[in-house]
Amino acid sequence: MKTIIVLVLSILAISTLEVTGQCNSEIFSNECIPKLASGFNFLKTYKVEKGGKDYVEYSYVFTKGTQYMINICAANQPDGIVVSLYDSKRNKVASSKVEGQFIATIAYPCNTTGIYYIQYTFDGSASYCGGSALGFKR
Amino acid sequence: MRILLIGLILALFFACGSEKKTDEQAFLERLDSAGAEGPSISEGVIGDILQQIPSPLEISVLLKSSGRKYNGGYLNSPDNFSKYNSSYQKALNLGIYGTDLGYTNIYEQNQDGVKYLASIEELANGLNIGQFFDKETIGRLASNSKNLDSLLLITTQNFNSINHYLQTQNRSNLSVLFLTGGWLEALHIICEVSAANPDNKELQETIGEQKIILENIMLLLSFYQESDPNMASLLNEMQELKEIYDRVIITYTYKESEFKIVDGVMVIKDNSSSSIEITSEDIAAIRSIASSIREKVIS
Repeated sequence: MKTIIVLVLSILAISTLEVTGQCNSEIFSNECIPKLASGFNFLKTYKVEKGGKDYVEYSYVFTKGTQYMINICAANQPDGIVVSLYDSKRNKVASSKVEGQFIATIAYPCNTTGIYYIQYTFDGSASYCGGSALGFKR
Repeated sequence: MRILLIGLILALFFACGSEKKTDEQAFLERLDSAGAEGPSISEGVIGDILQQIPSPLEISVLLKSSGRKYNGGYLNSPDNFSKYNSSYQKALNLGIYGTDLGYTNIYEQNQDGVKYLASIEELANGLNIGQFFDKETIGRLASNSKNLDSLLLITTQNFNSINHYLQTQNRSNLSVLFLTGGWLEALHIICEVSAANPDNKELQETIGEQKIILENIMLLLSFYQESDPNMASLLNEMQELKEIYDRVIITYTYKESEFKIVDGVMVIKDNSSSSIEITSEDIAAIRSIASSIREKVIS
């Protein structure tokens, strides 16, 4: 009987550990929405959590004449999460890590319409878990 | 001791039970999309392309910020919703009404917005995605123009949730149609506004820039051309549009960007530039074909 109870309790404990150990990036993404600067309209949230690759990448068509804002939210913000922006030819347009400093928000007034790649990387991150929001204004 | 053991087993049983319920729901939802065979490419790749499509709200904001007046005559009548019986029609027109709702919201035309909201709810319920559209909250926010930011936020979140849900349920075909409808309506509106303001270069360039989005939409539709005759037919019609857009030339010159930090925000200075070559004949042809495709979709 004792063995069964220990077994059942172990299963429950492992399940709980798995749940608490998971990255709930949606919470961080949602935290980022109200942090978009005034005047910016919300467009999308992005989950930033380490998967099989060293980076997480999304893409979006940016429009000339529109200003975009991308921010990062994490437990110890920005927790080593770096956002880099690449244009359609994969030229780097921006990176939120500069001279060793991590910037949590970038604003990009777009001059050329096209597909842009929003890439998140981890540089000394403790949790490899965060979220991000994208907004725009004219 | 025995009670404790029974309690633990019951807890495990119910934990598994809730998972089973989700599976049943998923099965029932799959039945709803029966008849639509899978695409010729993975749902993940489709999702990656879908996420690139810009929000039609950007077009409405552009129109308002450039001083164009509201014109409800550009929009699909909210009363047309009862014409749409198939999932194909519902998904396309849900996208069209979504763009129309965004347009009314941006211009704070709340009375019109409420009508679109009701039609959207009907179509969303018909596609079994009505649970993602919080009509009560949106209706309350729409009743006061001071709530514009919250209204835009919640409608965008609702539409994002619908897209995400459809993709997780392997119903990306509906997501493709939803975004196609939304884009087509935005293209139609901007073409109509441009026709009324023929000297406005910004509007002409915006029409030209839609070439990039059309390419993505055609790629998405092409994944279903073997399995879905309606989507294949829509793709054929888009091909006519593409033939005109092939004449539009977009030139891009890259130059390294600069930045400065302002109040903790990294502000980028984009030194790249682009130019768009599009003639008034091209614009007239795009307007005509887009209008013809849209007319078939909304009728």
